[in-house]
Amino acid sequence: VSTPYTELQLDTLREVANIGSGTASTALSQLLTRPVDISVPEARAVPLADAVESAGPADMAVTGVVIPVVGDIPSVVLCVFRIADSEKLCELLGVEGGSEVGRSALAEIGNILGTHYLSSMHAMTGLALEPAPPQIAEDMLGAIVATVLVEHCGEDDLTLFIDSELTVEGESCSLSFLYVPGAAGATHLLTCLGMA
Amino acid sequence: MVRIGELAASANPGDVLVALGLGSCVGVALVDRGRRVAGLAHVMLPESPKSGPQLRCADAAVPALVERVLELGARRSQLEVALVGGAQMFAGQDTVTVGARNGVATRAALDAARLRIHAEAIGGGKGRTMRVTVGGDVEYREAGGELQHLLPATGAGAARHTVEATA
Repeated sequence: VSTPYTELQLDTLREVANIGSGTASTALSQLLTRPVDISVPEARAVPLADAVESAGPADMAVTGVVIPVVGDIPSVVLCVFRIADSEKLCELLGVEGGSEVGRSALAEIGNILGTHYLSSMHAMTGLALEPAPPQIAEDMLGAIVATVLVEHCGEDDLTLFIDSELTVEGESCSLSFLYVPGAAGATHLLTCLGMA
Repeated sequence: MVRIGELAASANPGDVLVALGLGSCVGVALVDRGRRVAGLAHVMLPESPKSGPQLRCADAAVPALVERVLELGARRSQLEVALVGGAQMFAGQDTVTVGARNGVATRAALDAARLRIHAEAIGGGKGRTMRVTVGGDVEYREAGGELQHLLPATGAGAARHTVEATA
């Protein structure tokens, strides 16, 4: 059974996400040789249907890269790129959008972001968080987000998700980045941060 | 709009029930065309966990949906059933996915309710959106695809019109 989180706990998770996405954005910035901005992360615990809805229009075509996380907290990182943004990213990397190489490049971006995010979380908490190989899908936003949430925390009463947005400066190209620890994982995470 | 884990039914002809972005979830439509009653459940999990809302799970949602449409005047013997969803969204998953389990559990729940499936678009690797028009058709659209027709099943006396989803 999941616990409701206090505002202070959610703030702590936001701060962890802030540091994590900061590290991830530095890595993306090096890859693209362009500055990358991060938004203030959001951490919320809401019913699953609300979490899916808050991700954006369910029907919108997007590319999703899922990085399953194994180790102390079985959890998941999800990167979502709008189609126009995924094409822009491919262009910045000098590969053709929509091609097999393009998909592989996006999976690799997801992988790099996820790995840096997780390693920064490891540095803060001492938890072993290992990324598994990325899985990629081009599909409806709602279908991707719902499937990931259901597989990882479908049985929780509330879905806790930590959401960051990265924007490539001057290119109007952004991507959103979701970390879903699950109820048990979130408790574990907060315990390691002394906030349980 | 029928959100994930929810269900809805209506007896107002022309009302449209929609489940957007069915990935591993399964949309279950029950239709009595003669009485112009239809219901749609957006099933999220195969079996009910010990706590939490139960209607999100196949084993609870299917009987609840049947009850809803019967209350609105549908006849059990005239109910047509269409299923959409249960996809495996991400390639390379080696475990039995929630999508596949949702499909199996939904079939079992319909079996238990003694209802036959008339049309379906289950499995495959793409998300789908499902539209049920009360007194009208049941349709779905696959990500990047065209609107497809499910009910009424075409062809004289078509016992079962199965739409094989492309993997």
